[in-house]
Amino acid sequence: MSLNPFRASALHPATWWFLGLGLATVASLSGGWLPEVLVITVAIALMLTCRENAPWSKSVRFYLWLGAFVVGVRLLFRIIFNSGSTDSVVAFSLVELNLGGVHLLGQVSWLTLEAAATDGLRLAAIIISIGMANTLANPKRLLKSTPGALYEVATAMTVAINLAPQLIESLQRVRKARSLRGRSKGISSLNSIVIPALEDTIEQSLGLAASMDARGFGRRGSLTKMQIIATRTLSLGGILLIAFATYFLLATQSQMIAIAFMISGICSLTLTIRIASARNLRTRYRRQKPGIKDLFVIGLTVAVAALVVAF
Amino acid sequence: MIEFRSVVFGYQRAESPIISRATFTLRAGEFTLVCGPTGSGKSTLLKLMNGLAPHFTGGELSGKILIDGKDVTGYKPHELAELVGYVNQQPEGSFVADTVGEELAYGLEQLGFTPTDMEHRIAKNAALVGIEHLLDKPLASLSGGQQQRVAIAAAMAAGQRVLALDEPTSALDATSAAELVALLARLAKEQGITVLLAEHRLERVLEHIDSVIVVNGDSSVVKSAPRDAFKDYRLLPPVVELSQRLGLEPVALSIEEAKRAIATPVTFTRLPGRVFGEQTLLVEELVVRYGNHVAISDVSLNAQAGEVVALMGANGSGKSTMLWAIQGTGARSGGAISGPDNTLVPQRAADLLFLNTLAEELAESDKFNKVEQGQTAKLFLELSNRTDPKQHPRDLSAGQQLALVLAVQLVKGAPLILLDEPTRGLDYEAKRHLVAAIRLMQENGRTVLVASHDIEFVAQIANRVYVLEEGEITAQGRTEEILGPTGLMPTQVAQIANQPGLLLAEQVGKREN
Amino acid sequence: MKTSLYSKLVISFTAIASLAMFAWPLIIQTTSVDENRFAQTAFIVLMPLMLVLVLAEFASGELDSKQLAVLGVLIALNAVVRVLGAGTSGIETAFFIIIIGAYIFGSGFGFLLGTGSLFVSALLMGGVGPWLPFQMMAAGLLGLVAGLLPKSNKRWLELTVLVTFAIIGSFAYGALMTMWNWPFLAGVGTDISYSPGAGITPNLARFFKYESLTGGLLWDSGRAITTSVLILLTAPALLATLKRAAGRAGISR
Repeated sequence: MSLNPFRASALHPATWWFLGLGLATVASLSGGWLPEVLVITVAIALMLTCRENAPWSKSVRFYLWLGAFVVGVRLLFRIIFNSGSTDSVVAFSLVELNLGGVHLLGQVSWLTLEAAATDGLRLAAIIISIGMANTLANPKRLLKSTPGALYEVATAMTVAINLAPQLIESLQRVRKARSLRGRSKGISSLNSIVIPALEDTIEQSLGLAASMDARGFGRRGSLTKMQIIATRTLSLGGILLIAFATYFLLATQSQMIAIAFMISGICSLTLTIRIASARNLRTRYRRQKPGIKDLFVIGLTVAVAALVVAF
Repeated sequence: MIEFRSVVFGYQRAESPIISRATFTLRAGEFTLVCGPTGSGKSTLLKLMNGLAPHFTGGELSGKILIDGKDVTGYKPHELAELVGYVNQQPEGSFVADTVGEELAYGLEQLGFTPTDMEHRIAKNAALVGIEHLLDKPLASLSGGQQQRVAIAAAMAAGQRVLALDEPTSALDATSAAELVALLARLAKEQGITVLLAEHRLERVLEHIDSVIVVNGDSSVVKSAPRDAFKDYRLLPPVVELSQRLGLEPVALSIEEAKRAIATPVTFTRLPGRVFGEQTLLVEELVVRYGNHVAISDVSLNAQAGEVVALMGANGSGKSTMLWAIQGTGARSGGAISGPDNTLVPQRAADLLFLNTLAEELAESDKFNKVEQGQTAKLFLELSNRTDPKQHPRDLSAGQQLALVLAVQLVKGAPLILLDEPTRGLDYEAKRHLVAAIRLMQENGRTVLVASHDIEFVAQIANRVYVLEEGEITAQGRTEEILGPTGLMPTQVAQIANQPGLLLAEQVGKREN
Repeated sequence: MKTSLYSKLVISFTAIASLAMFAWPLIIQTTSVDENRFAQTAFIVLMPLMLVLVLAEFASGELDSKQLAVLGVLIALNAVVRVLGAGTSGIETAFFIIIIGAYIFGSGFGFLLGTGSLFVSALLMGGVGPWLPFQMMAAGLLGLVAGLLPKSNKRWLELTVLVTFAIIGSFAYGALMTMWNWPFLAGVGTDISYSPGAGITPNLARFFKYESLTGGLLWDSGRAITTSVLILLTAPALLATLKRAAGRAGISR
């Protein structure tokens, strides 16, 4: 264990996600280009200083490229599919084309460009913030802290994450071995590699499942009748509330009603998950609890977000 | 503690059951060996204890199995988790966590133990198997022996009174295997845990066990005391076979016992000498490097037509690398290899199988090699017993899979045959088939180069042995020298009799008494 | 996995609500840009919540350790095939396994396979973003429908059904995801952007312009072709292997 305080594992993975989503919220709520650039700078700085040598930490470059790509595309679309804005100062003029009713190119104003760049930067900031969380939070540890109702799904994901490298190994081994035998025409080379590797991995995975089962995996408590009725009503209700919220967002201008539906929908879904988790009897060994550092980071995120919203 | 009452288990499609009318009892703290000719019967018997059979294997079960007074038939494995701990062949394949501590905690978490209770139990069980200093270590960094200890501690962490272990020593070297068996014996004696151990290398466990359950080829199951069990048992560890042939009474169960019992030199027939053909394979100063790591350094070897040459050495000593280099597709950084056409059967033979039925595999082989239809099938039948051609290749036993791949590769007719660890996962019967097959290849004038760490197997087939250690040849010579009493890797019989030229029990004539 | 009437209700509402969350630019009534942006943000928050709920719903069924093992393998295979296929543009390798897997193991499994595949490959390759829950939902629905396809004993009929679905599914998935990135990439105010509150028909026309001018259709065709070809190549062997696994794991539709 390294004592470097800047390592990603110093914080609970959920904290990284909280921070990432917080930054994304700040980015999507703020107006000008400056806050967006600030968010992007912070996220990049965190990614570069805290990342560890893990597979999920290798995608920093991907997120940066994607961010740049989004800004570029936004600007490009504005320039190419510019519907001939005539306002304010013209930045540059291009020959206007008309392609089957679509106006292409033409005059481009500074204001248009600035708006497009700000929009693009906002998206880039959201992408890079979430990318930061993804790069720094250990997904396996995060999957461990999922609520009980999602335990099986989370286990399947963990199994998949663990199997992926083994499967690659199997594929390489089989590919090497296949050349020993050769195959006649008509037998797809894809099959002669994928099938043995897949069979192998299924066998391994069923073996793992047997070992998990033999040690108690799959044991579930039962819910009382009341609990079952409650979860079903709440989850169906939650979906309906969200559907209503969607309707109000789309069909009317009553944002307040939509927000009310959204919040009650979210509450009932959270409650469903809480109640349904009672089925899970599992206890936890040395559960990683959020520490002071985590609370500090979370508090800071909330404070910054509140400040941005207030202005 | 455990009681079987007329237990019958089998698959519908197969005519004969795997286990028929098993009736026996085991007391608490009894250390029992489960052995038998085929792999499937032993494993199945263990899996019946905690519901893995039929729940994970399919098949049908009748009769009663009582554990601690509870009839466990019909329960799923997770419902029996606190009753029976189960450990299988490859610990690395059944680990669910990243570190030792988390692994021990897994079962406790599933069973809902409180965190304080968990800490207590983990500490206690880790100490029992001697891994208390490893709790924070990642599982991948442990040795095979340590990994099996972790698996055992994890299987009994919740206070299970029954431990079922399916060939837990199969991936271990002799020393760690012996330590592991001693540990199990101690757990049975001191903790009162009922231990069922399936094992085919009987020599490793004989001196520790209280009783033996034999699952016979005809699916009958018999429990008896160790010395009674082996009086007329066919699949014998060399030490027992030797004492049987010499008519020792009682049967010796360990090398030390046999040494004491045999006072006078034994008469035996020498292994037949052979005349080989011309030299077919010549490897000169072979070097294989992966980056900075030297896998093979300056290795030279040769082989003649009709000769069986063995490459021996621990895992990672470079045996596989050698074979792949000779085969031609493996990496090679220097040196010269001259040899005829060859064919390699890799360690995991099933990697070469990609079709849906045995018949399709055989037909594809005929088609690809442009040989007469049915040619591969004929070879396959020589190497294995008759099998339903509609079976899925993956449902064949390890021995049948190897036979199929051997047939597919042999039909190519190459004069040089390379076998990489062919005995891996084979039971006694399959091993016997393999020995016969290799002797047949030899008679047909082919050269066989086999990589193996199975001493008794090599003693049966090889004419010459090269010993590899970290990519270098440290010893070479005739099999009688290397595997004989003064050699680097003596066979059991060589250790007991200490007579040059005597390696195998089969060399000693059976005494009628 | 058997699905109760209640589960079917939950799934149907979810499907309708999530389709609305994809296609909102077409149907939104308000012309205010701020309100439009608010709706967009709201959907980004709501989609993952719905996803969690449906996942919990499916998993609380009869997902036992063996099914979970097979699910894990197929998700891993999907992630690996995606990693190997990445870098070759226009090739989409994620779908054929989802379709074939769902076809064998049924809708509930198909939904889990679709969502899980996209989630795990995004985690491993880097691809987590606000779009991920939407991709997961779209792929989940794809798997859900694939699990309902009629089964047949005739090999050619089976293949025809699968390939037809692969083509329709690829374009449908493509349309949903393009719909999602449309307001993001084109914003508001260009000729190929959506026009807030203008109604379905004019917006659908604008969407077509966007799809064709930005090469979205080309991309979707690539996806449809590769998925179909991969199904034709691998389905016979893969179906046999998975049917066998289904037998061993005791999973049936």
